[in-house]
Amino acid sequence: MAFQKTRYITTSFPRCEAAMKKSPQEKKLERLLQASKFSGCGFLGNDKRNLWEIIDEDASELAKAGKTPEQVAKRMRQLTDIGKKGLGDWVDAGHGLHVSVDDNRGMVPCPWPHHVRCLKRITMVKHVPTGSEMRWSDLNVHLVEQHAFFEGKGSRFRIEPRLLISVIFAEE
Amino acid sequence: MILFIIPVAIVSGIGALLAASLVFAERVITNYGDVEININKGAKKITTRGGGSLLEMLTAEKIFIPSACGGRGTCGYCKVKVLEGAGQLLPTEEPYMDKKERAEGIRLSCQVKLRNDLKIEIPDELLAIKEYVCVCDEIIDYTYDIKQFNLRFENGHQLKYTPGQYVQVLAPRYEKSSDEVYRAYSISSDPADKSKIELIVRRVPDGICTTYLFDYLKKGDTVKINGPYGQFYLRDTDAPIIFIAGGSGIAPIKCILHHMKNTNNNRKSTFFFGTRTTRDLFLVEEIQKFEKVLRQFTFVPIVSQPEEDAKWKGVTGRVTNAAMDYLKKQNDAAQYEGYLCGSPGMIESSIKILTEFGIPEDKIYYDKFS
Repeated sequence: MAFQKTRYITTSFPRCEAAMKKSPQEKKLERLLQASKFSGCGFLGNDKRNLWEIIDEDASELAKAGKTPEQVAKRMRQLTDIGKKGLGDWVDAGHGLHVSVDDNRGMVPCPWPHHVRCLKRITMVKHVPTGSEMRWSDLNVHLVEQHAFFEGKGSRFRIEPRLLISVIFAEE
Repeated sequence: MILFIIPVAIVSGIGALLAASLVFAERVITNYGDVEININKGAKKITTRGGGSLLEMLTAEKIFIPSACGGRGTCGYCKVKVLEGAGQLLPTEEPYMDKKERAEGIRLSCQVKLRNDLKIEIPDELLAIKEYVCVCDEIIDYTYDIKQFNLRFENGHQLKYTPGQYVQVLAPRYEKSSDEVYRAYSISSDPADKSKIELIVRRVPDGICTTYLFDYLKKGDTVKINGPYGQFYLRDTDAPIIFIAGGSGIAPIKCILHHMKNTNNNRKSTFFFGTRTTRDLFLVEEIQKFEKVLRQFTFVPIVSQPEEDAKWKGVTGRVTNAAMDYLKKQNDAAQYEGYLCGSPGMIESSIKILTEFGIPEDKIYYDKFS
């Protein structure tokens, strides 16, 4: 399935591409993606690119690997579900992957304007043969699935799409 | 070029002026007059100027409704029952309400605007909640991600709470947060010492409040809290008790154990405390001391994945499995009361096990905090 950029960008509001300037909603979203009540460190990190450039470039990485955000999010969620059974312990998820899920009390809202809240749960995945490790929150899974957003470089929960794919689809 | 810029500037200016006028009209010209908030069928009545949110007005009157987002409609905590005067449920509230809550008139108090008189219902215990100013007396490192914060009350104030309850701590604006936020933490201290409370806190990666507490709060700093909150406290029965906790979930159970010691409560009780590695264990010796004074109390620390070089001689496995093995050996397992504190996953798993042994759900106590 080809990556349809507009499918994610327009999930919540239209983008003012024709005018080459940001709509008020886009400006508000970028403000919310900075450090705020949503996230102490923000979602953009020290990335100099704007939100849409981040999404576009990560989308290209996904396309190169032949994956869609839905496929990636589905596999992330599948690994989280396996890890949940361990109640904090490492669980063998097959294909050389070990998973541990650490959940904290409370919820964290999605910064996009649609009132989605995710548990404060963090999944850690180790690919034992290569030693590669990945970590994501439930919110990351939602952001990937619904907004094709892997966060900005330097953000604490930034996920590098290429590394993520190499770990979670290690069996392919 | 100038011919193009001038009309654009004029149109933009008019737009900005109109927007500013609307904001001004809403805040200054629109006069809702005084409105009355009737709480719990007249138990308390507040007369205040209309226009603001219900949450703001209640907070101004020192009635603290739990809220973690400062009234932005994003945390969904500040629910109150509105019997009359709030109008329709707003789209901003819908995601936080289930069918039952909608039918009962539950609303997010931060989204309800005061335009006319209101009749609301809130739990009686919320009327007893107060704000306190404390000084951070001591910070104790327990593990790589768990610390204890000792907060002493200023000016001889005391917090009246039931052992097991929690308070909300205010993280002020600081370098990594442009907003004030409240977060809930259970009290772990001996309730006999009314001059201070102790909180055991686990660092949440990127958490606004825990980052403040761990990296910015210093001994001697002032801390604002409000409380007490919660339904997690020891029920006054003779039923045997099973306590199950993980990590910082030890906090309210430690407080309850102090209370049992202070009141010479010798009910049969067993405390299963689970961590992943021995590095995560803490307060073990302190809890073991209760075994000497509470005749029927047993403490079972459990490590699920001990390090190879740790020489762990205690119980190995998951805390829930250890609790299950214990209940299998009890003839009266269904008579137990369960007291749980820890991660949502551990609580969910523990409830499943306890109910399988016939313990009714209404005899299993825990605070969700969300």
